[in-house]
Amino acid sequence: MVLKFYASPFPVAGGGIVALALAEKQAAFDFVPIDLKTKEQKTAEYMALNPFGKVPAINDDGFVMYESRAICRYVDEKFAGQGTTLVPKGTKERALVEQAVSVESMTLFPPLDKVVWEVVVKPERGLAPDQAIVGKGLKEISDTLDVYEGILGKHRYLAGDDFTLADLVHCGYLPFLVEKGVDIMTAKERPNVARWWNELMSRPTWVKLQAEGMKSTV
Amino acid sequence: MVLKFYAPQFVGGGIAIVALALAEKQAAFEFVPINMAVKEHKTAEYMAMNPFGQVPAINDDGFAMYESRAICRYLDERFADQGATLVPKAMKERAVVEQAISVESMTFSPPLSKVVGELVVKVRRGLTPDQALADEGLKEISDKLDVYEVILAKHNYLAGDNFTLADLVHYAYAPMLAEKGVDIMTVKERPNVARWWNELMSRPTWVKLKAEGMKSTV
Repeated sequence: MVLKFYASPFPVAGGGIVALALAEKQAAFDFVPIDLKTKEQKTAEYMALNPFGKVPAINDDGFVMYESRAICRYVDEKFAGQGTTLVPKGTKERALVEQAVSVESMTLFPPLDKVVWEVVVKPERGLAPDQAIVGKGLKEISDTLDVYEGILGKHRYLAGDDFTLADLVHCGYLPFLVEKGVDIMTAKERPNVARWWNELMSRPTWVKLQAEGMKSTV
Repeated sequence: MVLKFYAPQFVGGGIAIVALALAEKQAAFEFVPINMAVKEHKTAEYMAMNPFGQVPAINDDGFAMYESRAICRYLDERFADQGATLVPKAMKERAVVEQAISVESMTFSPPLSKVVGELVVKVRRGLTPDQALADEGLKEISDKLDVYEVILAKHNYLAGDNFTLADLVHYAYAPMLAEKGVDIMTVKERPNVARWWNELMSRPTWVKLKAEGMKSTV
């Protein structure tokens, strides 16, 4: 049975991360949309897949998983002979990818999540963003990007000269800021970050995913 | 040259995670104390290893790394033939471990940081904790532990019947709560979580680390 991929039908956040990984691996899958507006992710049926009641999840012929970053690692291994290698095989190369993936999860994501909540989610609910929280969050993100500037001065992507999972995970949430007119990723004070970001945003798999959305390949 | 482990003499946070992993892998290492009171972690020398200026870091005969969770994965591979297996080799077993590690990073750690920030860090600095914020964090943690209760009814540890990196990452902050009289990990309404937590707290490598602190093995 072909892999089933459950997510909200917008190529953003954790669902967007997995959708991009599936595209990079040229994986066959059946997309099953989950309607967050009606809280379908909190139904007993969905929570049998993910007891934390969050999207995305996958069901690979009976093997069920959640957590987008973990799903990406699994997809990379399952489809190891095809598409882009998201996590290299060599011990040290892999360690550097895991290091960069960890920076995104532990250092970049917490303030980014808060800013996205203020500038994206709250306005959708008719609430006003708290500018103090936004300002503080953007400062923290900017400080992290200052370090990325140094890292990206040494090699093309975050963990070396090849695109890996470390770069891919950054496509989940940062695009929200860009969409809201926050140009933090392309500030001219950080030319290496801008170059890297423009490469990510023009990557063909990303462009196609944003243009066409999540679609079953079968 | 033996592996060097850079951190302050403090068994908590990412430092505890790496120290425990080194013990689990029976790895030989030299402990190099970093004096955070004099901002040694912000010196050019230290930041050559970790440009984010955070602890811990390792230098394995010239291979420098940071991010505790990434370091643990590296140590597990580097010392693959000895000690506990922190990340299983088989694809699906590994995927379940990665899923549980991701839950800790993305879901469990944020509210826990909030609570530790108020009840441990502020108190240590002689400031008054914001109890409302702490309570908010505790409620979020409790909600996640309700799901852990279901998971831990199925197997002894978070990703199966063996101790793995998924359990190990939980030593970073939650032990500090018990020290402050917050018994959220052992409440009787969640007997499976309590059983699991008590097993973690009585694990010999942890008990020894807490009693003796970080010490070079060479």
